[in-house]
Amino acid sequence: MAPIIELKNVTKEFKVLNRREGLKGSLRDLFSRDYKTVRAVDNISMSIEQGEIIGYLGPNGAGKSTTIKMMTGVLEPTSGEITVDGTVPYYNRAKNAQKIGVVFGQRSQLWWALPLVESFKLLKDIYMIEDKPYKDMLALYQSLVDIEPLLHKTVRQMSLGQRTLSDILAAFLHDPKIVFLDEPTIGLDVSMKSKIRTLIHALNKEKNTTVILTTHDMGDVDALCRRIAIIDKGKMLYDNDIEHLKGFFGSYRTLKIRTDGDHKIQAEAIRAELPDFSVSADDEWISVLVDEDRQKVIDVLGQLQKSYDIRDMQLNEISTEEVIRKIYEEGVQ
Amino acid sequence: MKRKGLGFYLRIYVKILAQDIKSKMSYRADFFISTIGMICTNIAGFITFWILFRNFPSISGWNYYEMLFLYGFSLISLTPVQCLFDNNWSLRSYVYSGDFIKYCFRPINLFFYFQSEVFDIKGLGQLAFGIGTLVFAWVKIGLAFTPLMLLKLIVFLITASLIMIALQNAASATCFWIQNSFYILDLAYRFRDFAKYPVTIFSPVFKFIFTFIVPIAFIAYYPSLVILRPDTVPVLSWLSPVIGVVFFWLSYKFWMYGALKYNGTGS
Ligand SMILES: Nc1ncnc2c1ncn2[C@@H]1O[C@H](COP(=O)(O)OP(=O)(O)O)[C@@H](O)[C@H]1O
Ligand SMILES: [Mg+2]
Repeated sequence: MAPIIELKNVTKEFKVLNRREGLKGSLRDLFSRDYKTVRAVDNISMSIEQGEIIGYLGPNGAGKSTTIKMMTGVLEPTSGEITVDGTVPYYNRAKNAQKIGVVFGQRSQLWWALPLVESFKLLKDIYMIEDKPYKDMLALYQSLVDIEPLLHKTVRQMSLGQRTLSDILAAFLHDPKIVFLDEPTIGLDVSMKSKIRTLIHALNKEKNTTVILTTHDMGDVDALCRRIAIIDKGKMLYDNDIEHLKGFFGSYRTLKIRTDGDHKIQAEAIRAELPDFSVSADDEWISVLVDEDRQKVIDVLGQLQKSYDIRDMQLNEISTEEVIRKIYEEGVQ
Repeated sequence: MKRKGLGFYLRIYVKILAQDIKSKMSYRADFFISTIGMICTNIAGFITFWILFRNFPSISGWNYYEMLFLYGFSLISLTPVQCLFDNNWSLRSYVYSGDFIKYCFRPINLFFYFQSEVFDIKGLGQLAFGIGTLVFAWVKIGLAFTPLMLLKLIVFLITASLIMIALQNAASATCFWIQNSFYILDLAYRFRDFAKYPVTIFSPVFKFIFTFIVPIAFIAYYPSLVILRPDTVPVLSWLSPVIGVVFFWLSYKFWMYGALKYNGTGS
């Protein structure tokens, strides 16, 4: 079967005016031809099959949103080609829009003043959804998350989490072949994140919807994606199964310790003491990433024990979070 | 995919507008205050007009009631732009904040979708004022009321509205290129005040500008000549429906061109 989305050597450049300072500067800017070119996406190729959930990762400014804007037909690539379900999105924006759903986190596309159910009814008309599939979809939604209390609230009255949830439901409403989710879980609390993950997972299973997901939360990736694509400074660094990537780091272990003091402060100190190791901390654990090929975990533990009062410890395989961090820091060899 | 024809768009339009009106009505205090504001604005406008012109038996060959006719005519022709294209005023902030992108994800015409979202009820008060003034002037001048006259009136009201709308579309679309585009939109808004007066009262330079550059003379002056001066109608009057349609079409193209060229803001 042909892939549902295909990108071939896609590049997108933006021309940005070099702004000068002061009033005189702005006057000169008015007539200026002094542009610099920002290459937001640099020669990317990718092919995505129907039904996949793919995690599209990268640090801020990597070019993720720009890629999505091109796939949704909002932007035209500077060079290269994109086809989405057989059509070229930026030449057939409206036709493409019928087949996709889009959520840009924190940017609701619903009508602010309307109760959610009225928004849904308008979408039903705009996407020409028949009565039966519409009712079925609402029933499915009700079975997955309790939407009844949301339906009669206006989007304006909703919390950020409820709004995001509503936007995701709206994006799936017309049973599109592809749904693009750009940082949907940003700013949400743990329980809402988990609710949204469950929802996306279930809809993907039920409807075989292809999902392109960008996120900074590796919890999303662990819960949803088998395949990830990592982009940095517009260039594709990695595009394959996540397990395959972890394989590169087979010799790595995450040593987690719990101490009495403030984890953040102690992590700082450990970082100073062990400059070659990547150290992170949250309320529960201080995590130290150890490459067993270079140093034994037991030695590191011994060294830490001299300076810190360790209450509890755990030894894990490298986490997705750490793999991604290492890739951002060092790239793929 | 089924075709999305005129019927489809009309149905969607009515539904989206109805929702907007419903939700506005639910903010009752807001609704009443803005309605009262609109009535005051219109009364003030009318008083200004009255003070200015009651002392002159005629200006450039236009008598008081004819001026009043022009005034009413322009008020009515301003109604569609006020009621149906009011979202143009928000375009700039949508573009600036990057929220404009939300209009790009729906499988319907971008311009249509954007404009359909807002219905400004205040425009209806203006319509009532306009009709009152026009009928009053019509009777005072002693114009005949025949089906042909009515047809002329309707055709030229539509013409005038199209030009008004076109002017505003073009002005608001400049925000796709220019940051401080508010001044342009505001200028276009102020220009339309001149539409209430016969262009003959302006100097030749402005007459030229208002006819060929910012064609506000086509909003009320040239169209009303057809009704008020049926014996000496200039060619430009008969041309005005064509000009209205062409100008509207151009402004739509300009708006869409800007919208599609607009790259969004990085986020
Ligand atoms: N409309 C634009 N004009 C100029 N530069 C832009 C525009 N959109 C994005 N960029 C730049 O392109 C790069 C990639 O941005 P983006 O795709 O939003 O990154 P991400 O979504 O991965 O954080 C950034 O350097 C950003 O500043
Ligand atoms: Mg982004």
